Amino acid sequence: MSRLHSGSGGGPEGPDRATRRAVNGEDTAKASAAGITGGAPPGLDALRVAMPADLAIRIMQRAGVADREYDRYATVDGPVTRLFVAYGRGAVTGSAPVEWYAGPDAFEEAHLHRTGRSALPTAKPLPGVVGALRTGRDRTLRYDYGGLPEAQRRVLEAVRAIPRGQLRPVGWLGREAGLPEATAAEVLAAVRASPAPVLIPVHRVGDETGRPVDCGLPPDLVGRLRAHEGVDEDRLTRFSADGTRYLGSDTTRIFCYPTCAHARRITDRHRVPFGSVDAARVAGYRPCRSCRPVVV
Amino acid sequence: MDDMPPPVTELLAADLDRGFAELVRTHGGAVYAVLLRLSGGPRDVEDLVQDTFLRAYTALRDYPPERRLALRPRAWLLAIGTNVWRNHVRTLTRRPAAEDGVDVQELPVKDGRPGPERRAEHTWERERLVAALAELPEHHRLPVVLRHIGELSYAEVAELLDAPVGTVKAQVSRGLAALRGKPQLAEGEVIG
Repeated sequence: MSRLHSGSGGGPEGPDRATRRAVNGEDTAKASAAGITGGAPPGLDALRVAMPADLAIRIMQRAGVADREYDRYATVDGPVTRLFVAYGRGAVTGSAPVEWYAGPDAFEEAHLHRTGRSALPTAKPLPGVVGALRTGRDRTLRYDYGGLPEAQRRVLEAVRAIPRGQLRPVGWLGREAGLPEATAAEVLAAVRASPAPVLIPVHRVGDETGRPVDCGLPPDLVGRLRAHEGVDEDRLTRFSADGTRYLGSDTTRIFCYPTCAHARRITDRHRVPFGSVDAARVAGYRPCRSCRPVVV
Repeated sequence: MDDMPPPVTELLAADLDRGFAELVRTHGGAVYAVLLRLSGGPRDVEDLVQDTFLRAYTALRDYPPERRLALRPRAWLLAIGTNVWRNHVRTLTRRPAAEDGVDVQELPVKDGRPGPERRAEHTWERERLVAALAELPEHHRLPVVLRHIGELSYAEVAELLDAPVGTVKAQVSRGLAALRGKPQLAEGEVIG
C-alpha cells in the first residue's frame, strides 16, 4: 500500500514481478517449472552474477548504437531515501525510491514500459543529481517528461519552483502553471504523474493549510522529506487550528504563505494572521512577490 | 500482464537499436556469468562479452524482422558466446606462454581475512565452487555452466553443443557430482 505510484504507470506490483520474465520464451518457463536448480549443488546460483557497472553501456558504444536509443540509470543516495535516477541526453528521464521496487529489474521494466527505452545500469549518476538531492534545489537539472501532456508538464515545472522547506497549496500550482481553470483533482493528477517524484519536490505540495495531499509519495516519506527540510509541522498545526492561512507584517503591509522565507522572519510583535486573501486585502495588505499567494 | 513491457524479441523486430539495448539489459548478465565461468576468471571476460554482443548486433542487422521475432535470445547469445570463448582459447593455445584458458587467479588465495565468520564461510564455499568448476574438464564444465548458470534447458544445451539430450544430461550430472566436493573423481571420469 505504500506504493502510490499511480499515474506514471510504472508502479511495481508485487515482488518478483520482474524476475525471470521473457527470459527465453517458453523454454525457460518450462525449465524453471521443472525446477532448474533442483539437481544443482547449492551455490551455483550464486555464480549467476550481474555484469559489472557500465559494461552494458560499453557494449552499446562498441556496437555503435546511438545514445538516444537507450537510457542509463544510477542508484543515488539522497539524504532521506535512495533513488534510482534514470537519464539520457543530459536530462532526467525517470526516478523513484529504490524501496518501491522488488529490485533493479523491476525498475528497469517499469522504465521501459513508460518510456519505451531500456535503462542500463551505470555507476555514474547524471551530473548535478547528487547536489540537487543534497541541497533540495533541482534548478540545474533538466527533465525529459516523455509523452506527458503539456498541461501536466507545466504543473510539474511549477512544483519545481517551490523552494526547499516551503509548502504551496494545490490552487497555487494551478495558477502558477497558467491553468487557473483546472480543478484541484486535475492538478493533483499531474503531480502524481511526475516521472521523478522526490527529485521533483512533490512533497512540498499541500492543502490550503499545508497538510500533505495525495502527491504520489507515501505519507511517511512525505513526513521524512519535510522534516529533513525543516518544515515545522507543529507551527502548521497551530495555524491550521486557528484558521490562519496567510501571515502579514504590519511594518511592510505584505502578506505571505506561512512557510515563505519572508513570513518566517516576521517577529511576533509585527505578525498579523489572516484567514483569507480578502481579509488581508481589506486590511490594506498586498501579496508577497516571492511566494505569490495571489497573482500579482 | 497487460502492463508488461513487450518481450525483447518483439522490440528487436520493431526497432533493432532499442531492441538491442533491451537484449543487453535482459541477457547481458547471463552472458557475462557464463563467460566468466568458462574463462575461469575476470581477466578477459569483458572482451569476450563485448565480442559476443558485437557479433550478435552484426548478425541481427542482417536478420529480417520475422527472424528476430523467432529468436530464442538467451540460447542464441550463449551459442555465440561459446564460440567466441572457443576461439579465444584456441588463440591462447597457439601463443607461447598460454594457459589452458583457466585463470587460476580466482582460486582461494586468502589467509583468513578477518570478518564475520558466516560471511567468510560463504565466501570460502563460493571460492571452492569456483575452483572446482575451473578444474572440471571442458566437456563437463561447458554443459554445467550453460545449464545452471546460463539457465538453458537441456534441449537448448544439446542443440548448442550438437549432442544428444541424453548425453548432455549425463555430462551435467557427472559434472555436478564432481562439484559436490569430489573434484578428484572428475579426473578419472575423463573418458569421452
